[in-house]
Amino acid sequence: MNIAVLVKQVPDPNAVKLDPRSGDILPGTAQVPNEYDLVAAEAAVRLAETFDGVQIVAVTAGNARETLNRCLAMGVDRAVALTSSASSLDSLATARVLASWLKSDTFDLILTGQEASDGGTGNVAPQLAALLGLPIVSNVIGLEYQNGNLTLKREIEDGHQVVTVQTPAVLSVLTALNEARHPTLKGIMASRRKPTDAVDADVSSEDLTPVVSWGSLFADEQVAAGVIVRDEPPEEMVDKLMAFLAERKLIEPA
Amino acid sequence: MAENVLLFGETTADGTLRPSSAELFGLGKELAGKLGGSLVVAIFGGNIAPAEAQAAALGADRILSATSEQLAEITVDAYSVALETAIEDAESAIVLLSGTTAGRDLAAFESGKRGAAHLVDAVNVEIEGAEVVVRRPVYQAKLLTEARAKLGETLFVTVRSGSYAAPEAEEGRMVDVETLDVALDPAAMRVQVVELLESKAGSANLEAADIVVIGGRGLGEASNFPLAEQLAEAFGGAVGATRAVTDLGWRPHYDQVGQTGRVIAPKLYVGVGVSGAVQHTVGMRGSENVVAINRDPDAPIFKLADFGIVGDLFEIVPLLIERLNAARGN
Repeated sequence: MNIAVLVKQVPDPNAVKLDPRSGDILPGTAQVPNEYDLVAAEAAVRLAETFDGVQIVAVTAGNARETLNRCLAMGVDRAVALTSSASSLDSLATARVLASWLKSDTFDLILTGQEASDGGTGNVAPQLAALLGLPIVSNVIGLEYQNGNLTLKREIEDGHQVVTVQTPAVLSVLTALNEARHPTLKGIMASRRKPTDAVDADVSSEDLTPVVSWGSLFADEQVAAGVIVRDEPPEEMVDKLMAFLAERKLIEPA
Repeated sequence: MAENVLLFGETTADGTLRPSSAELFGLGKELAGKLGGSLVVAIFGGNIAPAEAQAAALGADRILSATSEQLAEITVDAYSVALETAIEDAESAIVLLSGTTAGRDLAAFESGKRGAAHLVDAVNVEIEGAEVVVRRPVYQAKLLTEARAKLGETLFVTVRSGSYAAPEAEEGRMVDVETLDVALDPAAMRVQVVELLESKAGSANLEAADIVVIGGRGLGEASNFPLAEQLAEAFGGAVGATRAVTDLGWRPHYDQVGQTGRVIAPKLYVGVGVSGAVQHTVGMRGSENVVAINRDPDAPIFKLADFGIVGDLFEIVPLLIERLNAARGN
């Protein structure tokens, strides 16, 4: 079984801060693997541990050296970094870059995170599925595989849905699927012997032209207009809350 | 030149419009007006008569429908074919969908197939000249940006639920329902829905409840979560949790309100031990009245609060439950 895991490197979501002068995040923000993508990598590695003959490649569009190394140390077999002439890619162009390489081989399973923590469009997996003519299952939180048949649990608005699909398929996963392992020293040592290839993506410049553009970033203006009570006896604070609730007609007046 | 707005009227199991789809009718009308076109609503499913009547009452100019056994459950395989047929029939400039799991999957899949733009997760949608401009949260809703795409080829917009209010329904308004001829090849239906493991009744009504109590990490440990449940019961409301709480496994993931969870807009929101991280607040911003109880005076939830108590929730909440029960008894 051939598995591709699609990964992205993102600014550390816990460190993201607005630089109002540039209308962008502060320069030099640490880069980390996108959390959901590591869950996808973990799912692939677990399949390789369960079944014989599983080969896993981690693929990224752009620069994600540390993230690819992390995947290799987790147990992924090899890594591919796809480069293109475009300075920045929107989600459709990203999907086209990934598709151009993925169709050069036969993959049974393409796994990725539900969305990236930066742009957070969640577009790439369904777009890629459309480009490759494969089925897409999103929001995956449970995965069972047997002889080319997948039974998947997904989180949707009405509860948990169970679906079946045959490979090949594209799956995008949520954190509830598993807990990504921390690489062991042995894993890190082994990863140094694994290949990472840089490949120039075969996509026309027309197909790399963004169809969606982003403006500058800004923060939401929040107003504090409410009543805040503190440093009073609990009974009095609760009395005031009850009065507030009654005044707003949220409870029957006592 | 396409100039109409096609609204995907997502339905629920009972054949009614999902509230987040009903919310888009006012916006759809407005955008169609600006384009000089009309609002066309596409509704697919098994039994969708209730949704068709709703769409007429909410102001649809045309209603395109498709019903079949294969459309009874929403799958990308079946619904993308039906949507494609509706897009062509409606001569759509903009396809508007609510930002549900199905809406986002469908819009992204179709945008990939057509090489079209998909503006995701909009909280505001405008037409500026020959472009559609949306405001949307990025970086896990810590920041906002404007994303834009050119009108011309059909483009897709998904809207975050709670961003717009549904227009008032004009009961008795009639619109002819036009049946679409959707040919579904059984072999192309690759994903099969086996079953729905439904949420527990207590949490299934989170979106519909007038009063919602949210338990946060400030509750300390899983065994304290029933305090939030008891408060919800005293209010006669529903109970939900923050992402921190569901990540810790104190509550199931589907009880989560926030960015990767559910979006609520109750009359009264009560946060108990909720700090107010954006991952959560993005799911409750539409609440009419916000009450927060937290020990930390710097907790960001107080910025959103109409009424806040800085104090020990283990003292405040039992007292509040007592007072609410007493008030009810009267």
